[in-house]
Amino acid sequence: MASIKMSRRGFLNTAAISAAAMSVPFTLKRSAASDNNAKEDKKLHISQNWCEMCFWGCGVTAYNREGRVFKLEGQPKCPKNYGKLCARGNSGIYQLYDPDRLKKPLIRTGKRGEGKFREATYEEAISYVADKTNKAIKEYGKGTVSLIAHGSGEHAFINLMSIIGSPNTAIPAYSQCTGSREIGWFLTYGRPYTGNEPIDAANSKCLMFFGRNVLEAVMVGETQRVTEGMAKGAKLIYVDPRYSKTAAKADIWAKIKPGTDLALMLGMINYIINAKLYNIDFVDKYCSGFDELKQSVKKNTPEWAEKETNVPAETIKNICQELSNAAPSCAIGPGRRLTRYGDDTQHVRAIGILNALMGNWYTPGGFYKISKMDIVTPHICEIEHTEVKGGEKIERVDGAGSEYRLAPKNLGLENKLMKGILQGEPYPVKVMFAYGTNLFQHYPDYEECKQIIDKLDLMVTCDVYLTETALYSDVIFPESTYLERKDPIGVMTGKYPYVKYREPATAPLYNTIGAYELVEKIAKKMGYKNHFKTIDDVNKEILDQLGISIDVLKKDGVYVKPTFEGIYPQAEGKDLKFNTPSGKVELYSVFCEKLGFDPIPKYTRHKMPKDDEFRLLFGRQSYHTHARTQNNRWLLALHDFEIKAWIPAKKAARLGIMTGNKVRIVKGDKKSRELTAYVTDEIHEDAIFIPHGYGRITKFMELAYAMDGASDANLCSNGTDPISGASAFHQAFVKIEKV
Amino acid sequence: MIKNKKYVMVYAIDRCVDCKACMVACKAQWQVPENHFRTHIDEKYSPGKYAPNRKYFLPSQCNHCDEAPCVSVCPTKASHKREDGIVYVDRDICIGCKYCIVSCPYDARFFNEEVGVAEKCTFCLPWIQQGHQPACATTCLSNTRIFGDINDPNSEVSKFLAEAKRNKSKIWKLREDLGTEPNIYYVQS
Repeated sequence: MASIKMSRRGFLNTAAISAAAMSVPFTLKRSAASDNNAKEDKKLHISQNWCEMCFWGCGVTAYNREGRVFKLEGQPKCPKNYGKLCARGNSGIYQLYDPDRLKKPLIRTGKRGEGKFREATYEEAISYVADKTNKAIKEYGKGTVSLIAHGSGEHAFINLMSIIGSPNTAIPAYSQCTGSREIGWFLTYGRPYTGNEPIDAANSKCLMFFGRNVLEAVMVGETQRVTEGMAKGAKLIYVDPRYSKTAAKADIWAKIKPGTDLALMLGMINYIINAKLYNIDFVDKYCSGFDELKQSVKKNTPEWAEKETNVPAETIKNICQELSNAAPSCAIGPGRRLTRYGDDTQHVRAIGILNALMGNWYTPGGFYKISKMDIVTPHICEIEHTEVKGGEKIERVDGAGSEYRLAPKNLGLENKLMKGILQGEPYPVKVMFAYGTNLFQHYPDYEECKQIIDKLDLMVTCDVYLTETALYSDVIFPESTYLERKDPIGVMTGKYPYVKYREPATAPLYNTIGAYELVEKIAKKMGYKNHFKTIDDVNKEILDQLGISIDVLKKDGVYVKPTFEGIYPQAEGKDLKFNTPSGKVELYSVFCEKLGFDPIPKYTRHKMPKDDEFRLLFGRQSYHTHARTQNNRWLLALHDFEIKAWIPAKKAARLGIMTGNKVRIVKGDKKSRELTAYVTDEIHEDAIFIPHGYGRITKFMELAYAMDGASDANLCSNGTDPISGASAFHQAFVKIEKV
Repeated sequence: MIKNKKYVMVYAIDRCVDCKACMVACKAQWQVPENHFRTHIDEKYSPGKYAPNRKYFLPSQCNHCDEAPCVSVCPTKASHKREDGIVYVDRDICIGCKYCIVSCPYDARFFNEEVGVAEKCTFCLPWIQQGHQPACATTCLSNTRIFGDINDPNSEVSKFLAEAKRNKSKIWKLREDLGTEPNIYYVQS
């Protein structure tokens, strides 16, 4: 740690170094610190892109002078960010020039995980992958190939899976993130919520979130809308066991006992119904099952909820009043990463019901309607034969669509795919491609993850860094970063649908390629005769449909749909339709009943930690994404190279732990690496909180490794929500010990 | 008579969510040495209703003081006050003596060990002369930072401050008791 950390004030006290620096000759002074921006701009190369430091996809303009990208700025017209970039977006330059990046294809020479690789040519590495994959297909069938992918190049690899004819694709954004939210929303409103986060926050009068740390998760457009709404006077109500940055900005912070959110929601529903705070017109006209709901929550009074949740009944009533006063210009957010306690789909159902009681569907300040571009997104690959096009039907390993009937097949269930590989059921999966995703940091338990990879004959990773997943791979392909690639034009839905454009800000610094190019070569080498269009061809098809020239995108980076459809159909007096069995908003879910689940959410108390235990909570920091950015020095410097474990003060005192002490998290025989204690009353006494993405085992990401910290993935639970099939991480109990 | 420009910055601190985008945007724009920043956001506390103490976020940077201690202590006049209000360090003249760093009551300066000079915020001079906003204000997600010429009554800063006065918002500057005449305005409703 000490080697990478040097604080601002600490440095001023280091007299020896200062003296050395003073002797720097004057000539160096001028050249090394030349003002990049002051020079003549003749050699300036400006290019358009979308940011891939997280998955929100903000429009970015990249400035390159004399071959070096020196500045990134938000595109003013992009509806995702309107000219703004967050800390991560601004630090994309560090990632581009990070010395730890993957630079050449690698083939493993030592044991898996040992970290011994040799450099290879693309020809050799691709042949290796093609031969091994073909061999596995011959022996075990097409389904033996699996894919876990996340990011702009994922569609290239999804194409590869279609070409091969394997159904075993899983996008972790479902089972490890938003799956339960999408299903819970779908069951209530007949449509998924979608990653657009369609809350009309900028026009809202009251916003409420349950553990959705909206101002610290930082998706630029969403953060802009929420802060804009608050600046215009919107109340913010925030429920979280922890005093996060969102809690700090909230008008009401409810410090809830972790695991009891559903009790709070039922308490609110009870009070809203009994105090007649609901939108009677909307409920009468558009909701089904109100009487059943009323009956079902009869005993869930605010006083009952107080006992379960530790949120005072008065506060619960106050929250309901605030929402009702603002209705329908209010919204209760259904969360984003909803992988908590295994009842997450019902959790979202209850939030869906609360919103329905407010009647805020398709109204200003409530939820807006998402619209689409009126174009057909062309396929880059003309696939000759696929599972879909008359190939034989192969059973999925993960049970999406069968055992978990509501889990969508195009997203799959990563958690169940991994289990299936481990158990060899229903058939052996022997090949895995991992694109842009790091299983070890989001699949619970390192050891199990290793065992799963050990079941494979071939593990292939395509990434920017030599991540933990790459460390356990047989072949690693170095991907060009977003600033070095061209990708097909992206077609985006949203409040203001648009297309986005990506062109290289610089030639690739190393021997790296993009996912489309790589996949085309692998498919060809495997012997498939599919035609891949060039990215330029695909772009031309899109531009022709839009009737615009490429110059528009080169100038603005985006092209926003010019005709504006109504996004508030309810407020515009249109009749609303819902794609549910009853055609209404289902307070009582007919689908749930059919599938054997509670048609109205019911609260069952979860197992709670013992007196010497803590529930392990984890989440985002404003300036990091998943496990992707922890090697970025600019970002690590923002939190002074320190990883804090939030520990409740009373229990910390008993353990003799004070702020600043080094601690480890212990679960059975597992012990985490070191974190710094942050002892506080700002977290419920049942829980500790750690930021996600640390406790790394790959030494090839030098700074991330040096940061120490705990890996939540290695310590959390691996439960399943029975309705959505998605994971449940927050059922793990841990202890803390002083180092 | 046309007055000189006088550049100032206003922070609407109710808006700040501590995302720290400003810190990185500035770092990228000026290639600030690895572990240093020219602007910071600190967590502060005030008595609150729902939390033990209410947390808020306070940005800071060079205050471009009218009576700048860093300017008066500089032995070579490398640190100087420009006509447009910006306190600037001429790197060709700075000898790296660090008097200015110690003299700054706002801890806004640091020593650039790579170049051997004192360094701090320049309001993005000369970038702003090309018609741009400072990097921190450009990227600020929540529009906390407002930059402009306070001598121009039609500038965004002037209008914002006038409205804040009308709304009886709390307006202050840091350590005005020191007589440094700082030019960063903090506004809270």
